[in-house]
Amino acid sequence: MTVLILTSEEDVTADMVVVHLNASGVPVVRLDPADLTGGVALSGEFVHGRFRGHLQSAGRLVSLSGLRSVWVRRPGSPAARAVAPSTWLTEEASQALYGMLRGTDARWMNHPEAATRARHKPWQLRLAQRCGLPVPATLITTFPQAAREFAERYPDLVVKPVSGAHPQDPPRAVPTSRVPPDADFTAVAFGPTLLQRRVAKRADIRLTVVGGELLAARKATPRDADPDEVDVRFASSDVPWCAAEVPPRVASGVRSYLREAELAYGAFDFAEDADGTWWFLECNQSGQFGFVEVETGQPIARTIAEWLARPGPEPRARVDDSDRTVC
Amino acid sequence: MQPFALNYARPAVESQSTVPYVYDTGLQLNVLFDGRVAARDLALLREVGTTTSTAGSKTHFDD
Repeated sequence: MTVLILTSEEDVTADMVVVHLNASGVPVVRLDPADLTGGVALSGEFVHGRFRGHLQSAGRLVSLSGLRSVWVRRPGSPAARAVAPSTWLTEEASQALYGMLRGTDARWMNHPEAATRARHKPWQLRLAQRCGLPVPATLITTFPQAAREFAERYPDLVVKPVSGAHPQDPPRAVPTSRVPPDADFTAVAFGPTLLQRRVAKRADIRLTVVGGELLAARKATPRDADPDEVDVRFASSDVPWCAAEVPPRVASGVRSYLREAELAYGAFDFAEDADGTWWFLECNQSGQFGFVEVETGQPIARTIAEWLARPGPEPRARVDDSDRTVC
Repeated sequence: MQPFALNYARPAVESQSTVPYVYDTGLQLNVLFDGRVAARDLALLREVGTTTSTAGSKTHFDD
């Protein structure tokens, strides 16, 4: 049984997992859906009540029934590198590939439906709250007056993209940023704006959850840190990430979160305040983990490899050629 | 009339350096020019920064 990895060639973080799968002798097929229909090919047939399909990439052929798991890591848009790419072809290729994969019994990290839902920040905040994880007061609005009133109630705010995406035309980065007290909120009317009470943090926490395994890392905020440098991804601090213990209530909360979100993997970001409370900021369903492993030595890649390598589920009941159910 | 959040945008920093490895379709891994597997060299991964949480931001939502 094979592990299928959907990611780009340059994804060296995925390599860290492939190394472990290779070491344990688990067959791997790695491909980028962007290479449909060039270096990647697919075929599936529905005849006589059976479905048979396979994928081919770089000389490797894998039967869809032979997949034990699918890791959706950093896949490109299907057929993006085709000879004549188009939005239509991407949709065609996406429906064919992911549609066929959905028909397998393979385990997903993470299932596309769950992944799509889990990307929505408002949904994340609601679920985190329901799972007992503290969530800072947050407002998402296009009403300038609502923003002004929120700023009166919570004078120390940050702003961040609702989607987490960065604009590409032209390419810009939008870090989580502190909002000055005298901010003019008029421009809130021109796009949904996410404002959140700033947590005066003494550390950033990245908690990587793989199945039921929790691997937490902590990066202390320097005492002399610029309070306007809110986003750890863009901060100039050279304090390293260190392995950390997970408080029992947080452990219980994130396990509930992943269970309810139907995710096998999640990278949670928390801000730790002066009292030691971990405030939920977000859960990236495909968050980076390589930098954490590189700095802390935590076995995240190995844990992912072990999850992917587990035997697939028992075959479901199927219908044979005479349309009789065979169990 | 740009959205409020874009008041805090900054130019994206594109890496000027090329990575010292190339994808090997046979191994399904990136290998260094001396043939070693890049993922086994954690010091190098730290140096090139391709596993950091902003590395995938250009094309992916998830950091």
